[in-house]
Amino acid sequence: MMKIDREKATDLVLGVLGIGLFLVLWEVIGAYRLAGLTWPKLSDVLAFLFEPSRQGLFLRAMGASFSMVAAGYVLGLVIGIAMAALVHVINPLRPGMDRFASVVNAIPPIALAPIFIVLLSREVTGMAIATLNVFFVIYVATTSGLQSSTRGHRDLFAVIGASKIRRFMSLDMPAAFPALVSGMKYAIPAAFIGAILGEWFGSSRGLGLLMVSAMQNFQIPLLWSAVLIASTASLLAFGAMSLLERFVYGRFR
Amino acid sequence: MSAPHPQVSSTPWAIDIDHVGKVFTLDNGESLVAVDTVDLKIEKGEFVALLGPSGCGKSTILRLVAALEDPTTGRIAIENRDPLSLSRQHRLGVAFQDHALLPWLSVKNNIALPYKVAGRPVDHERIADLLGLVGLKGFENARPSQLSGGMRQRVSIARALILNPDVLLLDEPFGALDAVTRRHMNVELQRIWGEERITSLLVTHSVEEALFLADRVIVMSGRPGRVVKSIAVPFERPRRPEVQRTAEFHSLADELTLALEPEEAAAS
Repeated sequence: MMKIDREKATDLVLGVLGIGLFLVLWEVIGAYRLAGLTWPKLSDVLAFLFEPSRQGLFLRAMGASFSMVAAGYVLGLVIGIAMAALVHVINPLRPGMDRFASVVNAIPPIALAPIFIVLLSREVTGMAIATLNVFFVIYVATTSGLQSSTRGHRDLFAVIGASKIRRFMSLDMPAAFPALVSGMKYAIPAAFIGAILGEWFGSSRGLGLLMVSAMQNFQIPLLWSAVLIASTASLLAFGAMSLLERFVYGRFR
Repeated sequence: MSAPHPQVSSTPWAIDIDHVGKVFTLDNGESLVAVDTVDLKIEKGEFVALLGPSGCGKSTILRLVAALEDPTTGRIAIENRDPLSLSRQHRLGVAFQDHALLPWLSVKNNIALPYKVAGRPVDHERIADLLGLVGLKGFENARPSQLSGGMRQRVSIARALILNPDVLLLDEPFGALDAVTRRHMNVELQRIWGEERITSLLVTHSVEEALFLADRVIVMSGRPGRVVKSIAVPFERPRRPEVQRTAEFHSLADELTLALEPEEAAAS
């Protein structure tokens, strides 16, 4: 017990040291202009970010982007799970759906963006790309998870006379849960990429818009601030999902 | 305990394995005869052990009785009915070598699973009784991962018994346990079975296990699987562990061991 705790503590210390080192390097590179004028000091970016007069600007951008990320994530999650469940129950649909998902994933979102802008609107293009990205990750994770029950479990359900629906509810779904949660973890950065990429294509709000306009107007601290917000949010959500994943793996396997 | 579904049958057999054969077609197109014409009748309330080396088709016979496979030739009837219709009516109980407990459910909910599958209300009193019978009182809310191998098998046996099945099928239920735990579990199963007296089919490769638990031991040879010997076990019930140290037990064990290894018998 003590040994495991010590290992955990070592991991934690090393992790904190690593992050600290990264932040110090950022500051040093900025302070000595080692990467040119476009790499600001971390302290400058933070000062810019927490300047009270800009709170409104950042909060509005965060509200717009994160609502697109969340909407795209939830939509992709629901569609991904629903499609995976459908092809699991109606097996002949599976090869077709697998191929469709792969083809959609093989098209770069940047090529689809103009179509979404025409079909939907500029404001929801980011959400639509996020939905597509999340859908693919969730669909793949859920279809493989639904098949992860062991032969012993399937035999048991057959012998005790379980209907297909009962087996799906009591065996296939809970057995798929760890794979689904892993998929949900990897879908987080996919949702952020989609939403922010979508905002580059002329959305009137959001962090993506902030990045593009800051870049074009050479507002270096603003650009880095927007990137820092998006990255931190993505990493925090990813970390939260990692914790959930650990809990689910402990409980469902 | 009396059988839960009393019915008059036209044949007296609880399980009638009537000239059954099973041929598997392998991936390379060759066919493998897993079971050659096996003919076996089991009476109501009888405990029969199928004994044989691995790969002799004894597990295939159990899977045929459990309706997990269809026979290639012959037919199987349980209480004069097709095994599949019994499994659909939730009247089969089964315990495998792999305990097949659901890791996300507590002990209590694992035992209650057949109720859910059958769409019947959960009888909490029956669950408590069975937990007591398998010696797991106080572990209701534990998860399978918190239990030892032997305890998991007890849960799996309690789950097999929960709906008062017509037939209990046991496929090497203690095969993955260490020798000491296994012997202990045999004593426990003998006691549990004495209380419920369900028609039972046990598949095992342990001579002592078969002799200690069963009313009749069927020895199979592989491949193709066929019955080479059948002996009635004379020991009275309830059986005490000491019976395994009697001369009669040893001589029956020798007889069964020789039937299992005919080459050795011929050489000596």
